[in-house]
This record gives sequence, structure tokens and C-alpha cells, in this order.
Amino acid sequence: MQIRDHSQSNIFHRAASGGVLLVIGLGMLVIGWNYPTGQLTQMGPGYVPRAIAVMICAIALVMIITDITGATIAKPSKIQWRSLIFVSASMLIFAFLVDVAGLVPSVFLAVIVSMLADREAKPLSILIYATLATSAGWLLFLVVLELPIPAFWRWS
Amino acid sequence: MIEQFLMGLSVVLQPEILIYAFAGVIIGQLIGVLPGIGAITAISLLLPVTFYLDATSSMIMLAGIYYGSQYGGSIASILLNLPGTPSSVVTCLDGYPVAQNGRAGLALFVAAFSSFVGGMIGVSILVLAAIPMTHIALRFGAPEYAMLVVLGLLAASLVGTGSQLRSFAMVLVGIALGIVGADATTGFYRYVAMPEFADGISLVSLAMGLFGVSEIINNAAKRDRTAPKIKVNMRDIIPTRAEARSLGGPILRGSSIGSFFGALPGTGAAIASFMAYATEKRFSRTPEKFGKGHLPGLAAPESANNAASQTGFIPTLTLGIPGDAVMALIIGALILNGIIPGPRLMVDQPMLFWGVIASFFVGNIILLLINIPLIRLWVLLLRIPYQKLYPVIIVMICVGVYSHRTSVTDVVLTLAFGILGYLMKSHRFEPAPVLLGFVLGPLLEDNFRRTMLIYRGDFMVFLERPISAVLFGCTATLILFSIYSTIKKHRHRETPHAVKQR
Repeated sequence: MQIRDHSQSNIFHRAASGGVLLVIGLGMLVIGWNYPTGQLTQMGPGYVPRAIAVMICAIALVMIITDITGATIAKPSKIQWRSLIFVSASMLIFAFLVDVAGLVPSVFLAVIVSMLADREAKPLSILIYATLATSAGWLLFLVVLELPIPAFWRWS
Repeated sequence: MIEQFLMGLSVVLQPEILIYAFAGVIIGQLIGVLPGIGAITAISLLLPVTFYLDATSSMIMLAGIYYGSQYGGSIASILLNLPGTPSSVVTCLDGYPVAQNGRAGLALFVAAFSSFVGGMIGVSILVLAAIPMTHIALRFGAPEYAMLVVLGLLAASLVGTGSQLRSFAMVLVGIALGIVGADATTGFYRYVAMPEFADGISLVSLAMGLFGVSEIINNAAKRDRTAPKIKVNMRDIIPTRAEARSLGGPILRGSSIGSFFGALPGTGAAIASFMAYATEKRFSRTPEKFGKGHLPGLAAPESANNAASQTGFIPTLTLGIPGDAVMALIIGALILNGIIPGPRLMVDQPMLFWGVIASFFVGNIILLLINIPLIRLWVLLLRIPYQKLYPVIIVMICVGVYSHRTSVTDVVLTLAFGILGYLMKSHRFEPAPVLLGFVLGPLLEDNFRRTMLIYRGDFMVFLERPISAVLFGCTATLILFSIYSTIKKHRHRETPHAVKQR
């Protein structure tokens, strides 16, 4: 089993965190390449970003080396695709509806979609829950906190 | 100092201000009880409301939410083994076993009492330190600020639980995110991929994404916590005399450790509670009892995180340097009200400065008094399964982020940071250092650039100026200590192997 841990197929998994970090560091360097750096005594806006980018790259390399050569490494936990998808969809729905449709419809839809992340939720309870949550949200955000968001677009 | 404190008390005890202190601590305790919704979410939701309040009332309310959540956080830890706030993770270790032994009431009482003592010791240190710290702070120049931020950022990555290398990498990523936007000195746009980034990434988006949304993604589909059974026997909440006697030391040690890590920018309540627990276990005569419902293991971290949440205001109020993300939001609220926090705050706004400090004193008393009577209410709240809770939390986060700058981009960005935080957690990266780097990075860049400009690139200035030299000494000690403990850990790991081979 231990030999398998060091096999080629696993090397990419092991280097993943350091690799992503290296990409971030290199990306910062490339995008910020033309930012004026100035001198140490008269730093331009590009000086600190470049220094930070170099440090990120250095740490990423150290991390890749230690992760590959290190003894055992905790496997990343399995990704919860279902909740990832529905939570994302719910927030995107809110983001794109709130300016167009107002607070009440966007909250209502966002709650419904987010509840789909739970495998065992039943349609009727989702509907009842979403209605309750939307009314509570309307009460809290618009009546109590008086946030400057229209409830429905047309009535604003 | 007594005189100023009494003046502060007279400010807080006005009914129209007291009501905000009360509201703050109640909201704080409520969100502390509910797992998955923290002080950051609540404070950013209430930021728009503070437009309508004066600066003193908003500060008192927002601060109340912060330390109130430390009290509430322990309740979910004890009853459900589920930390309500990051700083009550350690509370689970011994608090939950005590409750499992049928003495939940006792555990809650000990937690509330230790929190109260810790909070009060924290406030006292804040009162004692305020005037001397302000005098020191008035002598802070660019080199001192730069050095202090370096110390804070290193402390955040070297002290704590996770891998130091990974934490430091996250600090750097945080600094990188903080660079996005217009450069403070020249106005040059850096990494502005979209026009919305010109003002920089919103702290609220980053904080709610990394801490709020990532938690929801992680837990929404899990079905292991349906209608938890909670039994609280309110009859035996008072510890026996022997138990009470065993708590004095842990509470005092916990409070001292908490006060220290709270005052140090970069380390806060979460690290303080962890360190207090580790210390208590290390120096205990009965370390084997820890983790099985040992009361000192509950009292020490609880007093530490409350002490830390009070002394955390020392750098915030005297230097204007936020020790963590919540402090950064509170400073943001002050700036929205047209008040610049820093050494001049105590001189220019004595009523606000001392009023806020005195409100901590009053707030801790309110929290102790409401904690036990309201326990039935908190238990009722905790019976709500997570599946009924997270859609509401999503909505709160969405509305909170959106209303902060009325920006749809910020909501999408929050989701992006949520996914990032979720992936980070599954690859053993901690989110807290990112936030700290983000908050302190711009301060570091600004002051470092100014130092290099004024002192012509001479790094010796950091050693020549006395305050900066002391801070440099602390930083060097911290680095040496962490190298020493890493080496020691490696040796520890090798010895058992050697024994086995023999």
C-alpha cells in the first residue's frame, strides 16, 4: 500500500495545492509585469505585488517538494457536488434577480433552489418553508432594518 | 483612568445607548448559538443600519455582537458538539462530554461564568492599557506600524493549529487579494479585471464567502444532524465546592493567555482558546482527564476567548490596527461615521472611546445575567435542524453582501470566495490567515513604502528606533521559537521509530 502512495498517478494529487499556488504566483507576476516598480527608496505601485508574487512562488515550490517527498498526506475529502451546485445556483439567482425583480421574488427563488441541496426535502415542505422564509426576510430586511432595496421592482 | 472610565459608564447608562448595548449582546449571543452564522454576517447585515445611529451607539452595538457571540458560541459546542463560532471549537473537547454525562446545566454554567471572568479581566486590562498604549501609539511612525503588522502576520501563521507553511502561504494570498484596486499612493490600478474592482475587493464578500458560504456548501447535503436530542437538567448547575476550587487556576491562566493573544494583532480569540487549552493540559497533574469532561478543560478556553475578544480592542482603538476581520469591519463602521480610529481617538472623542470601553463592562454583566435564564430559548433554537437553517443563512449572506455596497458583483464574488474557501478547507488550508493578510496587507505596503522613502532604503531604521526594535525583537523571538518547536517535533517523531526498530 505504501508503495502505491508514491506512484506516478498520485504525484499530481500530491502537488495539487502547491501547484495551484504556483499558478497564482506566476499569474500575479505576469499580469503585473508592466506595473512600474521604481526603486527601493521610491517604490512604484508594482514593487510590492512583484515581491509578494515571488514569495508566493517560492513557498509554492517548497510546498510541492515537501508534499511529494513527505511520508503520508491526508487525502482531500470528497467534494459535495450536490450542495456546491445548488448553493451556487441559489446565490447566482439572487444576484441576477435582485436588481430586476426586487427582494421578495429573488429571496423566494433563492430559498427554493438552495433547499434542493438537501436530498430528502419534499416539494410541499419546500414551498411552505420558502413562503415563510420570504415573509420573515421581508419583515426583517424591509420593515425592521429598512434596507434600501425595493420589495418588488414595479412598486418601488 | 478611573475618572475616564466612570465618564464612560455615564455615557453607556443613558437609556438610549444602553438599549443598543443590550440589543448588541443579545444578537451576538443568538448568532453565536446558531452554528454557521457568525459575527461577521451579523455585523455586515447591520452596517447599513449604523448609518442612522451615532458613532458611539453603533460601535457599542457592533462590539456587543462580537463579544456576545463568544458567549453564545460555547452553547452549541456543549450541547451539540458543534462549535457555534471558530473560537469555541476547543470548548467541544471537554464541554460536550460533561453534557453527555448528564450535567449539561453545569457545563453551561461553568462556561458562562468563565466567560464572564475572562471578559471582565480582558476589560480591566483594556482600561489599564488604554492610556499608556495611546501614549506609545502617538510615537508610532511608519517603521513601527510596518513592524507591528509584520509581527501580526507572522504570529497569525506561526502560532496556531495548521501547517505553518500553508498558513503563511495563505497570508500572502490575502495580501495579494488586498492589492487589487487602486494603489493608495499613486492611484495606479492594479489587477483591476473589472471596473467593479477599482475600489478593491469588499472585505464583507471575502469574509462571508470564506467563512459563511464555504461552511454551508460543506454541510448542506449532510444528513447526520436531524433533530438533535438535547436534554438540559437545570437542577444541578452549581458546581460542587471541590469542582469550584479546581476552576480558579484554569480561569486565571486562561484569561491571561487570552488577554495576551487578543492584544497581539494577528492572533485572536480562536488561537487564544486553543493555546489556553494546550497550556492547561500540559501543566495539569492529570492530563489524561482532558477530553473526557474535565471542567478545567472547559473553563480555560472559555475564559481565554472572552478575554481575547476584549483585549482585541486595544490595537483597534489605540492604533487603528484591526487584529482580525471583525475588528476590520468595526473600524469600517467608525470610518463610515466619519471617525478615523487611531491614537487621536482617545483625545478627540473621549466620550466615544470610554463609552465603548465601559459598554464592555456593562455588556459582560448583561450576558452573565441573561445566559442561564435564556437557556431554554437557546435549546429550542438548537433543535432546529441544519436543513431548515442554511437557506435562511444563504439569504442573510446574500442580502448582507448586496446591501453593503448595493453591488451584484459582490454577491457573485462572495460565492466565488465561498467555493474557494470550500476547496481550501478540503486541501488543509485555513481561511483565517487569508482574511488577516487582506486586512493588514495594505497597511503593511503603505507603511513599508513610506519608511523606505523617509529613511532612504535603510533597513537599520527598524532597529534604531526603540519601539520598532522591541517589535523586531518580538518578531525574532517568535520565529526562533517556532523553528525550535518544529525541530523538537521532528525529534519527537523520530524517537518512537527508533524505539520500535530496536
